[in-house]
Amino acid sequence: MQLNPSEISDLIKKRIENFDVNVEAHTEGTVVSVTDGIVKVHGLSEAMQGEMLEFPGDSYGMALNLERDSVGVVMLGAYQHITEGDTVKCTGKILEVPVGEALLGRVVDALGNAIDGKGEIDTSETSPVEKIAPGVIARKSVDQPIQLGLKSIDAMIPVGRGQRELIIGDRQTGKTAIAIDAIINQRDTGVKCIYVAIGQKRSSIANVVRKLEEHNALAHTIIVSATASEAAALQFIAPYTGCAMGEYFRDKGEDALIIYDDLTKQAWAYRQMSLLLRRPPGREAYPGDVFYIHSRLLERASRINADEVEKLTGGKVKGKTGSLTALPIIETQGGDVSAFVPTNVISITDGQIFLESDLFNSGIRPAVNAGLSVSRVGGAAQTKIIKKLGGGIRLDLAQYRELAAFAQFASDLDESTRKQIERGQRVTELMKQDQYSPMSVAEMGVSLHAANEGFLDDLEVNKVLDFETALQAYMKSEHADLLKTINDTGDYSKEIKQGIQSAIEAFIKTSSW
Amino acid sequence: MSELATLARPYAEAVFKRAKESGNSAEWSEKLAFLSAIMQDDGLSVIVNNPKVDNEKLTQLMQDICQDQLEGESLNFLKLLIENGRLEFAPQIAELFEKYKAEDEGYIEVDVITAYALTKAEEQSFATSLKKKLNKHVNINSSVDSSLIGGFLVKAGDSVIDGSISGQLQQLAKRI
Repeated sequence: MQLNPSEISDLIKKRIENFDVNVEAHTEGTVVSVTDGIVKVHGLSEAMQGEMLEFPGDSYGMALNLERDSVGVVMLGAYQHITEGDTVKCTGKILEVPVGEALLGRVVDALGNAIDGKGEIDTSETSPVEKIAPGVIARKSVDQPIQLGLKSIDAMIPVGRGQRELIIGDRQTGKTAIAIDAIINQRDTGVKCIYVAIGQKRSSIANVVRKLEEHNALAHTIIVSATASEAAALQFIAPYTGCAMGEYFRDKGEDALIIYDDLTKQAWAYRQMSLLLRRPPGREAYPGDVFYIHSRLLERASRINADEVEKLTGGKVKGKTGSLTALPIIETQGGDVSAFVPTNVISITDGQIFLESDLFNSGIRPAVNAGLSVSRVGGAAQTKIIKKLGGGIRLDLAQYRELAAFAQFASDLDESTRKQIERGQRVTELMKQDQYSPMSVAEMGVSLHAANEGFLDDLEVNKVLDFETALQAYMKSEHADLLKTINDTGDYSKEIKQGIQSAIEAFIKTSSW
Repeated sequence: MSELATLARPYAEAVFKRAKESGNSAEWSEKLAFLSAIMQDDGLSVIVNNPKVDNEKLTQLMQDICQDQLEGESLNFLKLLIENGRLEFAPQIAELFEKYKAEDEGYIEVDVITAYALTKAEEQSFATSLKKKLNKHVNINSSVDSSLIGGFLVKAGDSVIDGSISGQLQQLAKRI
């Protein structure tokens, strides 16, 4: 944002005019020691847990350990200029970040400051980063789908609005790719997205921003970034910051999707802070409350009922439910899901999308392991057409997996076994999908219908994807209205079924793939 | 600093309880102040912290220094401190003792810092208004610091009331 000198003096004039001189009363303490981002402060007898403390040089810290004679403070940002004997002031406030529509399309740090060089963010509202999740009475069950735009996920592991679905896998298995596709697919749905990057390289974040921009998906997205070079405290609070920004939309009756990429690194940051604060280490050197940092965060992803929205907006929004869907990401080491943090998060979430490097390397992308992936609540939220067709796909794949291992040894197979294996191979092939090309419900419906009705069985396996591409192009040019009806209603009625069937039959006659 | 307070606390509590029982807390306060004053002497602290000086010699030395100041219980207290190797905490013990005493008697030490010296009447009005605010009798220690430019700064324990011009200028600077 460029200002000319006269504007600057106007701005200063306005601020001086609005400045009311008041006597400031606060509690003070003195710095006793400074070590690795942890400051011990003597005094501050009235400090609250999690309170923001003001240090000289316009820097802030968060009070975490309240002891009898001292307070253990984690610095939010640089701490090198703090010396023994500095005075520390209480601000009387729990950490707050700006929230609102103005944040959409922006990249912010863990404290909500813009870091994309597009100038200040014009928001008046703020929200505390740590809030208690909505209560039982305020909630509504998950019964609307959120489409991630990936065939394999929407058909077999559906996610509903307000659900928490874990994306888990080793490094380089396409975890972030699924998240980015999910954001891109929300372009026209009105779902606001928040992407929280924790402990990642700055270059990867720049990449994500560029890709979202390329696919017109940045305008409905907030990116919260706490990179690997930032203080552990910032990496720790970044997910809560993002969650507060998402809750703003949830609480005014809209739908939001938040992605925590990834919570393993947040747990590492918290472990670092806890060990430096001399809290006793437990399993894998994590502190005792490492479960709670994730459970309280993910519990805030929820669907709230219309009454609660009405109450929270002061009666301005009526008859609309709000939701915050969370897709936390966990990176495993060597496929070990029984490590401490992965098991914790698996138990907290409503299901997981399990990605495998073997599948990824054999070219099945997204590398979803359909057997180990589950969605505990999404089934109730699935669109009718996907629900009907997805069931068949899931079954085909399950039978295929069982037979595939066995079939490697036996050369002669009976007719039905061979058929099942062939169907499985084709369905597996069909589940492949390029990155950055999410599909609509209708497109998915057509592809799944083709698989279910056996149209793929006569094709060679390596032709399946070509067939699908050509079929989709044909449907788009010849049957756009049918696709539109499916997208609008989500139904799989007799007419729609018949419509798809005859369209595919007509397409096969052209044999243009 | 905070660790020292933790170590000094049981001693201060014990002395305070004993002083309250025997009803001579003013006397104890004087004696502890004396002890903490001599412990702040550089030469003495070197001797106290020297591991080669054994407890007997140290007791003799301290007794010689405090001859006519300490007797009876306070002398026993001195011996106890030496025996436990906690003599160096005397200043902290004295400080905590004063805090307990002030809490018990319902008054609070307040530092009032102003840019110009206060008149007696001004000090009186500070005392009455602070008494109202803090719900305690106040003992005002006033001092002058010209860097405040104008106004006042009140410090009562951890809490600070900043009504100084320099403080307001800082607020303004932050705002702009």
